[in-house]
Amino acid sequence: MTRTLFTNARLLDPAQALDAPGYLLAEDGLITAAGAGSADTTLRKDAEIIDCKGACLAPGLVDMRVQSADPGAEHLEDLHTLLHAAASGGISTIVALPNAKPVIDDASMIDSLSLRATRIGGARLRLYGAATRKLRGKAMAELGLMAEAGAVGFSNGNRCIMDSLVMRRLLAYSAMLDRPFIQHCEDHDLTAAGEMNEGETSTRLGLIGAPAEAEAIIIDRDLHLIRMTGARYHAAHISTRAAIESIRRAKAEGLPVTADTAPPYFMLNEMAVSTYDTAFKLSPPLRSEDDRQAVIAALADGTIDAIASDHVPVDGDAKAQPFGPSQPGASGVDTLLALTLSLVHQGHLELLRALELLSLAPSTILDLGGGALIPGTAADLVMFDADSSHIIRGSAFASSSRVTPFEGMPVQGRVLATYVAGAPIFRA
Amino acid sequence: MTGQSQTGAPDGAASPKSTRKAGSGSPVSLPHRHLLGIEGLSPIDILALIDRGDMFADLIQSDTAPPPFSETLRGRTIINLFFENSTRTRVSFELAAKHLGGSVLNINVAGSSVKKGETLLDTATTLNAMHPHILVVRHNCSGAAKLLSQHVDAAVINAGDGRHEHPTQALLDALTIKRRVGRIQGLKIAICGDIANSRVARSNIHLLATLGAEIRLVCPTTLLPAAIDMMGVEVFTDLEEGIRDADIVMMLRLQTERMEGTETPSQREYFNLFGLDRTKLMRAAPNALIMHPGPMNRGVEIDSATADDVEKSLIRTQVEIGVAARMACLEALAGASGDRR
Repeated sequence: MTRTLFTNARLLDPAQALDAPGYLLAEDGLITAAGAGSADTTLRKDAEIIDCKGACLAPGLVDMRVQSADPGAEHLEDLHTLLHAAASGGISTIVALPNAKPVIDDASMIDSLSLRATRIGGARLRLYGAATRKLRGKAMAELGLMAEAGAVGFSNGNRCIMDSLVMRRLLAYSAMLDRPFIQHCEDHDLTAAGEMNEGETSTRLGLIGAPAEAEAIIIDRDLHLIRMTGARYHAAHISTRAAIESIRRAKAEGLPVTADTAPPYFMLNEMAVSTYDTAFKLSPPLRSEDDRQAVIAALADGTIDAIASDHVPVDGDAKAQPFGPSQPGASGVDTLLALTLSLVHQGHLELLRALELLSLAPSTILDLGGGALIPGTAADLVMFDADSSHIIRGSAFASSSRVTPFEGMPVQGRVLATYVAGAPIFRA
Repeated sequence: MTGQSQTGAPDGAASPKSTRKAGSGSPVSLPHRHLLGIEGLSPIDILALIDRGDMFADLIQSDTAPPPFSETLRGRTIINLFFENSTRTRVSFELAAKHLGGSVLNINVAGSSVKKGETLLDTATTLNAMHPHILVVRHNCSGAAKLLSQHVDAAVINAGDGRHEHPTQALLDALTIKRRVGRIQGLKIAICGDIANSRVARSNIHLLATLGAEIRLVCPTTLLPAAIDMMGVEVFTDLEEGIRDADIVMMLRLQTERMEGTETPSQREYFNLFGLDRTKLMRAAPNALIMHPGPMNRGVEIDSATADDVEKSLIRTQVEIGVAARMACLEALAGASGDRR
């Protein structure tokens, strides 16, 4: 039996609204005791003692939107690098999208990737199954078999399901399997060749605009289908005020709807594109300042449930192009915690709320059974210093994908250690 | 009007106070390494380039001496790097460079639009190794000229990047107007047609607004870019309304792929609603002048009788003046390109 006792910690558990100096005991991978004050001597017996020296100790982050370049483009970032980069970012579980090559639309791929991940160590890997075969948005993939193999939900990657009949059936089937459906909310017909958010900046730069309405149009359609099917629906990387208002109304109505956003959408706006710097080419695109403010408000009031990194490994060559043809996406696992903490330092969120967005909420949405410091749950933990400052440098990333829209940005928050099942997967 | 060898203060505009230039008698000294757009140029820079171009236009027309008219670009290599087909702009730059004594190389990079994007930086690196002094670049992607300028040692002139800017076109348009009308300030200028996809429109809006013209845009709502009114223009969807009392009617080319689709239903309807003919032109000011950056789609945005009207059409003059305007630009960047070598 392995026993690890964390002492002198600032215990932070959004599940219990706990923020107090305390201790935590992990035994054989599970949390067995946690509480305020100092651990009594019986807990110390035969335990490895880790003195947190006042650092924050919280549930490990659950990053519910990550693209893995492995399989298919391992030269950009293989699974080993990704899981260790996540670990260094305080993430104990990542949930990977099915848009790999080949597409993860088959139970055997869920099996084999999950197995590979256990051999690697680093963060835990969970997977979404592709909603449709080859992500083409037409024929349904074997959702049931993938669910049995461990798929935590279904997603069509960065392609929205445009066909309403296909969408209705996917929601109905997901409801039967009791798995959430993760939608990339974008009316592709409306955004067409869009290169950035439509507005004054796109006009000035001569870039083709993708209107913000493309996001809310899909959510509004899907809400009707959710009423028909009762499916659990999760709107991914929400970026616009209109979409947020739709989700707010759906929640008020009691529909089983959740949403996440990613740091670019609460940290940056479309003005960043002004230099044509392709690090700011993202999907969805950076929006207006008004949208950014709406995202922050929605994170604070609970309309948006979770924050994910939206990590996308991108080839430098795919970015060394004019803005239009350059590939969207940027690295995210290295900066997820510090960027989210900036909302705390700016006074928009309480620290416990920030941690809820990063661990408890995604864990609950996907039924992962973690994200809390309650005895009986897995001892997946992050130890961090919430105030230590540094400047974001892509070149210093543990991820092998080093494109970031946050290059040179000063942030506060440093991960000291990350644990999975009580064992360290990262130590600073 | 001529500004030859004198500090020709342009009509209706404050005389440039900068000591960087001494009127049109000497090359313009720009505070920029590259000419990537009109946005970001000061009124002083713009007026200086126009004045200098005015002087070159006089020189070309005077027929007193054969070209080259200057040795400014002697020993300098100018590369015309065109990722999009062009005849008039490329030839215009080539002639302008030769009039200043420069050596010119033309490179036309063919291929699909995707391939063009992929090869831009490779091409830039390759060309950079050949130590050109000035790169004149045209590309189908907005921002391509800026991207190129970040990867080469040469001075870069944007000869059109996607839907973004075409600064030398705007400069030659302004010079054409100034030589014919005498001023730009206070003129009512209607820019008509495919605004959304036009780099000419954007550069002209920046430049003509900077010089105090009243700008109207006329186009179908499907070809109107978002939030364009933020650029200080008035928008019309009725051609006759939009050109009412206008001093200048500037027609834009409608891209053939937009003639029948979801932006405009047909060539016939477009000409009917937005094409310029003699009848509609009667709404404009009595001495209104017609401009078009070329190449024209006759019978789509303009009918031939109007386009070829020697009294009213400045279209051929624009081409002629283009060489002079580009001489002023090349000369202005020659200094910058020489300093760094």
